[in-house]
Amino acid sequence: MGYRIGVDIGGTFTDFCAFDEATKAVHTLKVLSTPDRPGEEVVQGLVALQDRYGIAPSEVSYFTHGTTVGVNTVIQRKGVNLCLFTTKNFEDVLEVARLKMPDPYDLFSRRPVPLVTKEKVFQIGGRILADGSEDVPVDEDSVRAAIAGVRDIGGEAIVVALLHAYRNAAHEHRVRDIVKAEAPDLAVICACDVWPVIREYERTVTAVVAGYVQPRVADYLTALEQSLERAGVPAVPMITKSNGGVMSAALGKTQCAQMLLSGTAAGVIGASYVARMTGSANTMSIDIGGTSADVAFIRDGEPQYGVGEMIGEFPIHIPTVSVTSIGEGGGSIAWVDAQGVLKVGPESAGSDPGPACYGKGGTRAAITDAFCVCGFLGQAELGYSAVHIDTELARKAVGNIAAQLGLGLQETAEAIIRVAVSGMYLEVSKLLSRYGIDPREFTLQAFGGAGPMLACFVARELGMERIVVPTTPGVLSAFGGLIADIKNDFIKTVYCDLDGGAETLRDGYAALRRDAMTWLHDEQGFAGEATLLYTADMRYRGQSFEIETVLQENWIEAGDLAAIADAFHAEHGRVYDHADDAAAVQAINLRLVIVGAAPKPELKQLPEGGQTPEPIGTMEVFYDGATHEAALYDRAALLAGQRIDGPAVVQQDDCTTCILGGFTAEIDSYGNLLLNG
Amino acid sequence: MAIDKITLGILANHCAAAAESMAFTLYRTAHSTFVKETEDFTTGLTTPDGQTFATPTDLGATWFVGLNYGNVIRVFDDYEDGDVCMTNDPYSGYVCTHPPDMHLWKPIFHEGEIVCFAVGHVHNTDVGGAVPASLSRTLTEVHQEGIRIPPTKLYSAGVLNQPILDVIRTNVRVPDQNWGDLKAQVAAMNTGERKVKEMIARFGIETFRQGMYDLMDYAEAQTRDLVRTLPDGVYRFADYLDEDSAGGYPCRIALKLTIEGDSIEFDFTGSDPQLESSINMPTGGDPRHILMMVGLDYVLYSLDPSILLNSGMTRVCHCILPKGTIVNPEFPAAVGMRSLTEARVMDVIFGAFAQVAPDRLAACSASGGPIMNVNSVDHRTGRRVVASIDPISGGAGGNPREDGTDGSGANSSFLKNTPVEINEAEVPIRILRYGLTKDSAGAGRYRGGLATELEFRVYAPNTKITARNRDRNRFRAWGTRGGRAGGPSSFLLNPGSNHEVNLGNTDILTVAPGDVIKVACGGAAGWGNPWERPAEDVLMDVRRGFVSPERASQDYGVVLANDRIDHAATEQRRTEMKSNASDAFFDFGSEREEFEAVWSEANYDVLTSGLAALPTHWRFFIKGRVFEAVSKLDAGEPIGDGTAVEAILRDIVAEYPQLSTAN
Repeated sequence: MGYRIGVDIGGTFTDFCAFDEATKAVHTLKVLSTPDRPGEEVVQGLVALQDRYGIAPSEVSYFTHGTTVGVNTVIQRKGVNLCLFTTKNFEDVLEVARLKMPDPYDLFSRRPVPLVTKEKVFQIGGRILADGSEDVPVDEDSVRAAIAGVRDIGGEAIVVALLHAYRNAAHEHRVRDIVKAEAPDLAVICACDVWPVIREYERTVTAVVAGYVQPRVADYLTALEQSLERAGVPAVPMITKSNGGVMSAALGKTQCAQMLLSGTAAGVIGASYVARMTGSANTMSIDIGGTSADVAFIRDGEPQYGVGEMIGEFPIHIPTVSVTSIGEGGGSIAWVDAQGVLKVGPESAGSDPGPACYGKGGTRAAITDAFCVCGFLGQAELGYSAVHIDTELARKAVGNIAAQLGLGLQETAEAIIRVAVSGMYLEVSKLLSRYGIDPREFTLQAFGGAGPMLACFVARELGMERIVVPTTPGVLSAFGGLIADIKNDFIKTVYCDLDGGAETLRDGYAALRRDAMTWLHDEQGFAGEATLLYTADMRYRGQSFEIETVLQENWIEAGDLAAIADAFHAEHGRVYDHADDAAAVQAINLRLVIVGAAPKPELKQLPEGGQTPEPIGTMEVFYDGATHEAALYDRAALLAGQRIDGPAVVQQDDCTTCILGGFTAEIDSYGNLLLNG
Repeated sequence: MAIDKITLGILANHCAAAAESMAFTLYRTAHSTFVKETEDFTTGLTTPDGQTFATPTDLGATWFVGLNYGNVIRVFDDYEDGDVCMTNDPYSGYVCTHPPDMHLWKPIFHEGEIVCFAVGHVHNTDVGGAVPASLSRTLTEVHQEGIRIPPTKLYSAGVLNQPILDVIRTNVRVPDQNWGDLKAQVAAMNTGERKVKEMIARFGIETFRQGMYDLMDYAEAQTRDLVRTLPDGVYRFADYLDEDSAGGYPCRIALKLTIEGDSIEFDFTGSDPQLESSINMPTGGDPRHILMMVGLDYVLYSLDPSILLNSGMTRVCHCILPKGTIVNPEFPAAVGMRSLTEARVMDVIFGAFAQVAPDRLAACSASGGPIMNVNSVDHRTGRRVVASIDPISGGAGGNPREDGTDGSGANSSFLKNTPVEINEAEVPIRILRYGLTKDSAGAGRYRGGLATELEFRVYAPNTKITARNRDRNRFRAWGTRGGRAGGPSSFLLNPGSNHEVNLGNTDILTVAPGDVIKVACGGAAGWGNPWERPAEDVLMDVRRGFVSPERASQDYGVVLANDRIDHAATEQRRTEMKSNASDAFFDFGSEREEFEAVWSEANYDVLTSGLAALPTHWRFFIKGRVFEAVSKLDAGEPIGDGTAVEAILRDIVAEYPQLSTAN
């Protein structure tokens, strides 16, 4: 028996979630992050866990964490001096990308400057064809010339990304071997080893992002391992992955592409767990922080997966928990345009200086200031006393906007909230239409520092009737990491007609299965039972995009192509509202996911309480154009089965939940707030 | 009475959400790959009289902000709940601009009254007619460009008009795709209707009704504020299409832009007569026709990206579009390839505005690259493959702050390419090169963006290559403020071999196994004097393979030796360049200068006013005769003052006595 610990290292705070295997208790904690000294906040947090909850480092039986070090390396452009080797005559792959510009209405719209600019791109002679056959062998002299070029510009690492290497890796590997032999000090990564999928830009940019962050991530993970060892933590450190799973930190040093969205994905894993626990199989989770809101959809209790998620300005094309970031958070700033129309964002006060009410030098009104002026905030310390709310500063900042609008202070504050929420409505509406989702059939799960504060407003705007606020909304990503499974993805591009493709599928999946078992049992040392999920990216012949379709192992083994085609038709119908049973189907990529289940905590149930909990005070809040009296509750004192009628405010260490009139909150047996409106 | 400004801001977000949701629904449920690849569609909401007040920006074509559906909406006296109407006829109200675009509109009712319309269009891959995909420059009448549906109810009170659907299906080449995309459009309309009803429930009917108009007033106010920052004046500009028909003479688009206070006038008098090819622009003379507003919308939005994109922004402008010209052709002129002309119309508008705001706007962006299609038999499978392989695009012009973007940008920003690996797997071709074209950009303090180029070998006999939208093979993108013109586009068969063929602006050809095709877009032009570009930046362009050492010296005056800057030689060369520099605002390239030495402003004035006096159906013919006659004049004879052309025109007209009595 010991403690299982999940950590999420964010830009401002580092969150801890500790699960006591003996008592089933969950303890949470936040400390300030130390981005200049990565790993130090973890040690500080371990000290604080011992001080506050008596958890000794030697009792830590499992340790997992998510980090933004990879993403920050890209955003701040502080990665390694990276070079790229491409197939000769295709050297502009990063410059040209997929042509489309971010804002096609703007004549000045630009793609981001590539992480590897063109003077660092070198051309390699040789050619593999679409079927994997060799047309021209590798021109080894061109490799040596390229290495000399790398030397000339002081390059530190190389990504090798050649055409059709997803089909035949021989050329990429040959180039890598030459580099290793002739320049053993240069790090070299082959794109086909990062993620061997068809489409050269997507594969190349993914490998480039991975190669760019790799040394920084590896150094960081090594430092973390050492810190934990010095602190006396016996557990092998794990790291959460973009796909919502975990792997050993040691493996993370080479498979950096896998951990770039680690914290974000873990949040959705945590949200999925809460969704299942509260019987909300279809959930839209919204994680609202200071500068952005991350939206994810959970269906049947499971997160959804996709590719092409953005790391800074670049898409990476490996399987990732689908999360869309909206540029609005508690720190988004209100302003008035030349026509007298109130706007909120995209500028954000972020965490530094933060909203005016934080008293850290911010003077412009942010969404959080508006909540403060409306009376929802300011009764308690936030973020484990890391932030003190100064209502006067908020009133002053909102007052500037009120003067421009010619409105009262509270009216202005409410207007800021309404405009901000309508902006979120706009972005969420696009996602609902993209995925074909009716929000009325979904539960809104709100977390992050500002999520529970905005939840009722967002739900009303979207016509959602049910809201869940988890017990630990401020540390759900850390919790998600704690419960995440060991998980990895494997892919093989086959590009074949389904008709006549039984053997290709069978052989392809057999190869993937061998690789997957080796990864789980040998590389991860996982001894338990493996779960395998078979899917294929399929399409109708002539389409330019694929749909991932779940397959059953017995279809593959038995060569039951009809069942496979039917599964695709059904999935096509679900995603696009139509299918063509008579059309020819192609299998482009075979995918396999392997999962080694992590033990799940059995959370402690709260004792039953009476019908209505005892408020710790009352307060006046302003919304819907009027002042309302609201009861104030302490989240820690709430008991199972209790009911709270809005308007009410529930405060806890790391966030505040606003319950508007018309909503009723029930406390479930685990302490989640279930709001119905 | 206007609604309050807080509610207006919130309503703006809800209306945008409606339009975006419609677009995502259409994109998600469309059947044809074409829609998903090119995003050539729109969705939106209009007032009961047809003014667009909500437009998506995340998805869809960028050309249709503020499209007015009034002319087609008014065709029907009464609407019922559940009606969905459609048209793809460019001559029924001038809402549709070429037959592949199927426009739909659906009334949205509240308590028995029409509140607004959900609208939108999809570019269908094929609507029948003389050629597959329905588009070719060689077509001469709209009747050859596919089936035309005048404004018709596809659904009446929710009941499908099966006979009209059957007529469409019978007349197109891939009927299931058209029907599939129509269904997706209807789904998008229904999404719009649901969103509008939610808005009415949330804001109240009166607020919503008034809000639609307030949103347009808001955009108009924003736009007028912007226009007031632009200096009053009259600005003239003209540009040319290389050919007015396959292998024909240049085609001129001329604009007189007047800015006065917060209003703008576009006078296109002096543009060429309507053509016997399919590059006419069907505007019906509408002073705010959408095709003439595209360039304006780009300029305004780029100068102030906070402007709300709706009909209100185009209220600042009105156009003069003389009848019987390329910008206002008479029925039955063919219009299918109006996109080729649209590219030049935008350039003309950009050229006029470049003089208005030289320190805020860019030099000319690239155009003239085709969308490449291959029709061949795959030796690997024995199957016929018809595939669009890539748009061949080019970059943005240099601007007062930075270089133009390479490969794509400015007004060609919404198309996506197809990966080389997908093309090689799908289409029986071997791609030999895909990337940026060295030395294609115009030099400048801020250089233009480079063009893209594609080179491939075909493997089957009788392989057909189509290259729609080819242009700028002769007349190039123009530089401003000392920036140089971009390079020409090119289209070569078997480049570098002893049987190389320059295909010029050919847009369809048949090739044999082993043949190699190389196609490149035109390059974008530069902004500012090239000798003021920091030598280190020029050196970096050379290292990046964007500029050759020869051109670094010739165009930028940067002399390199062993990958280093020869500072002394550079200094000397740059001083020379500076002293020899012209102070012309535009650099058009030698081809246009030579052409205009003959075809001067004065000659064009004589020609276009002379042609305007003739019956419409004579103008293209007479123009061709005049050009032919002028080309036979003795070289070296100065003819720029208009008198020679006047005489030629008079003589040619006199050859046809029937003209004096014709109407």
